[in-house]
Amino acid sequence: MNTEHFSKQFDTELDELRSRVMEMGGLVEIQIRRAIDAFFSGDLDRIEEVIDDDHRINGLEVSIDDDCAHIIARRQPAASDLRLVMAVSRIVTDLERIGDEAAKIARMAREVYRRDRLVMPRLTDVRKVGEIAAAMLRDVLNAFVRLDAVEAARIVREDLTLDDNFRSILRQLITYMMEDPRTISTALDIVFIAKSIERIGDHATNVAESVIYVVKGKDVRHIAIDQLEREALAGGH
Amino acid sequence: MGAWLGLLLKLAVIGALGLAAAHVGGTVAGLTTVCTLLAINQLSHFLLLRRMRIWLRAPDARTLPRDQGLWGDIFVDLYRSWRRQRDERDRSAITLERFRSAVRALPEGVVMLDREHRIEWFNQVAQRQFGFDASRDLGTVVTQLIRHPRFALCLRGTGDADPVLIRAGTGEGRELSVLVVPFEAGGSLVHARDVTQLQRVESMRRDFVANVSHELRTPLTVITGLTESLMDDTMAGADIRHHYLGMVRDQARHMNRLVEDLLTLSRLETQDGPVQEEVIDGAALAAAVVEQGRVLSAGRHVLTMNVTPVSLRGSATEIYSAFINLVSNAVRYTPDGGHIEVCWGIEGGVPVFSVRDDGIGIAPEHLPRLAERFYRVDRGRSSATGGTGLGLAIVRHILLRHQAALQISSAPGMGSTFRAVFPASRVADEEVVVADI
Repeated sequence: MNTEHFSKQFDTELDELRSRVMEMGGLVEIQIRRAIDAFFSGDLDRIEEVIDDDHRINGLEVSIDDDCAHIIARRQPAASDLRLVMAVSRIVTDLERIGDEAAKIARMAREVYRRDRLVMPRLTDVRKVGEIAAAMLRDVLNAFVRLDAVEAARIVREDLTLDDNFRSILRQLITYMMEDPRTISTALDIVFIAKSIERIGDHATNVAESVIYVVKGKDVRHIAIDQLEREALAGGH
Repeated sequence: MGAWLGLLLKLAVIGALGLAAAHVGGTVAGLTTVCTLLAINQLSHFLLLRRMRIWLRAPDARTLPRDQGLWGDIFVDLYRSWRRQRDERDRSAITLERFRSAVRALPEGVVMLDREHRIEWFNQVAQRQFGFDASRDLGTVVTQLIRHPRFALCLRGTGDADPVLIRAGTGEGRELSVLVVPFEAGGSLVHARDVTQLQRVESMRRDFVANVSHELRTPLTVITGLTESLMDDTMAGADIRHHYLGMVRDQARHMNRLVEDLLTLSRLETQDGPVQEEVIDGAALAAAVVEQGRVLSAGRHVLTMNVTPVSLRGSATEIYSAFINLVSNAVRYTPDGGHIEVCWGIEGGVPVFSVRDDGIGIAPEHLPRLAERFYRVDRGRSSATGGTGLGLAIVRHILLRHQAALQISSAPGMGSTFRAVFPASRVADEEVVVADI
C-alpha cells in the first residue's frame, strides 16, 4: 500500500484481491455464526443451508488462489507486494478450512437433533467458545484490512483462552458421561463440535501470523508467543 | 471611454515630444526619444503587473495597488470578484459544516463512499455500529470491513433496493438494517439503523399473541371435551358427573385467573399516573404474605421469616400483589420439603424484600428472560403447578412503578433468590401505618 507503483493498474489488482479475500472471509464468518446458532436452536433447515453453502467457499478458495498465481506470473511483485500475495494464498487455505469446520459443526448438530432432544447442561460454555472463535475471525480479518500487526498478535494470544475453554468443556462432558452413560453418544458429538470451534481458533491464529508476515516481513509460524509478540511490536520494517 | 482617451492622449504626447525632438536634434534624436518614452511606459506597466502578482498572493483591501488609469479599474474589479468568491466560499463552508454536524448528530449511522466504494467519511454512530477506526479506515474499500455478502450485492446494485438486515461487527448480536442510497457522481451513501430493539419487540409481540391463545385454548379444550362427554353420556352416574364438573370448574377457574392476570398487567401498563403514596408497614405486609404462602404450601414446605420494622411508601395493594406473587412462585417451584425464607429489611442502605428457596434453581441462560410474559423454563412442568406465566411480569411492572428493581440470582441445584430492591427514597419516616389487607 505504501510503495509507489509504476502502474495504477497493479494497485487496483492488489486491492481487488484483498476485497475478494474479505468477501470470502465474510462468507466464512456468516457460516460459523449460522452453524452455531443452528446447533442451539435445532433449526434443521438452517443446518442444511450451512452444509449446502460450503461449496461457495471452496469455489472462492480455488478462484482467489488462481488470481494469486496470475499476479505473480504477470506482475512479478517484489517486497511487500509479494508478501501480500503469498499471505493471501495462505489465508484462503485457512479460511476454507474454517468453512469446513462450520459445515462439520452443522453436520454434528444434525446428528444430535436426529438422535434426540439434547438434555445437556453446560451448553452455554459451547456457545461462549463459539462466540470467542467468531470474534477472533472477525478481528483477524479487520487486522488484515488495516495491516495491524499488534492486533494480530493479540489474536494469537486470544487463542490460548479458547484452548483453555475447550479443555474445561471436555472435562465437564467427561463427568457427565461418567454419571449417565446414555448421554455418551450425544456428548461425543458435542465434543466434536467443541473441537471444531477450537480448530477455528487455530486457523484464525494462522491468519494472524500471515498478517504479521505481511506487515513485518517476518515468518512467525512455529515460534513462542512471547517472541511473536516482540516481532509484532518491533518498530517498522 | 476615459481609458481610450487617456491612451490616445499619452500616444499624442509621446508623438508630439518625438516630433519636437526631431525638429531640434534630427530624426535619430526624435526616434530615440519616442523609443525611450515607450520603454518607460512599458516599464511602468511591468511594475504594476508585478505589484498585482504580489498582491494576488495575499489579497487585502488595504494593500490594493492604486492607479488612476485602466490598471486601477482592473485592481478594483479584481478585488471585488475576489471578495465575492471569498464570501461564497465562506458561505458554502458554513453550509457544509452545518450539514456535516447535522449528519454527525443523526442517531443513525451514515457512511459516504466514493465511486470505487472506498470510505470517504462516516459519522460516529456508524463508527460504533461497524467498529470503524477513524484514523485508519478512510480510503478502505467498504466491503473489506462490512463483509456481508448481501451488503456487497446491494452495493453493486444487483440486490434489491430494500434494506438488508445484517449482524453488526461489534458487540453481540446487534441487528442493523442497512440501506445503500446512490449519491452524486457514482458515489453512494450507506445508511444503517439499529433495529435490535425493534426486532425483539416484534418477536415478543408475536410470542405474546401466540402464548395467550395457547394458554386460553388448553383449558378450553378440556372444558369442551368434558362437557361433550357429559352431554353424550346421559347414563353416567352422579359421582362421575360430579367429578367431571369439578374438572370443568378447575379449568374455568384457571382461565379466570389468567384473564385476571392479563387485566392486571394491562392496567399496570396503561396506568402512567403516579402510584398511590400510602405508608405501608413492610413487616406486617411480609408477615401477611408469609401467612398466605403457608396456606398455599399446605404444609409441604418450611417457611421462615426474617423481618425488621421498616415502612415503605407506595401502593399497598400493588406491593402486596408483587410480594405474594414472589412467595407463591417459591411455593410452586420448590419441591416438597424445601425451605423458603422471606426477608424484609434494610440491606446496603435500601429497603429489600427477598424470597430465597433451596429448590432446583434456574440455569443462567433463562434468567434474563424470566420476567417476560409466558416465558417458561420448563414447558412441561409449569402447567402442572397452576401458574399463569404472568406472575413475574406483573411483579416487574409493579416494581418499575415504584422505581424498584427485580434481581434474580440462581444456579441449577443451588436454589434461587428473588429480591425486590427499592430506592432509599421510598422508606417512610412517618409512623402512620396502613396494613389492613
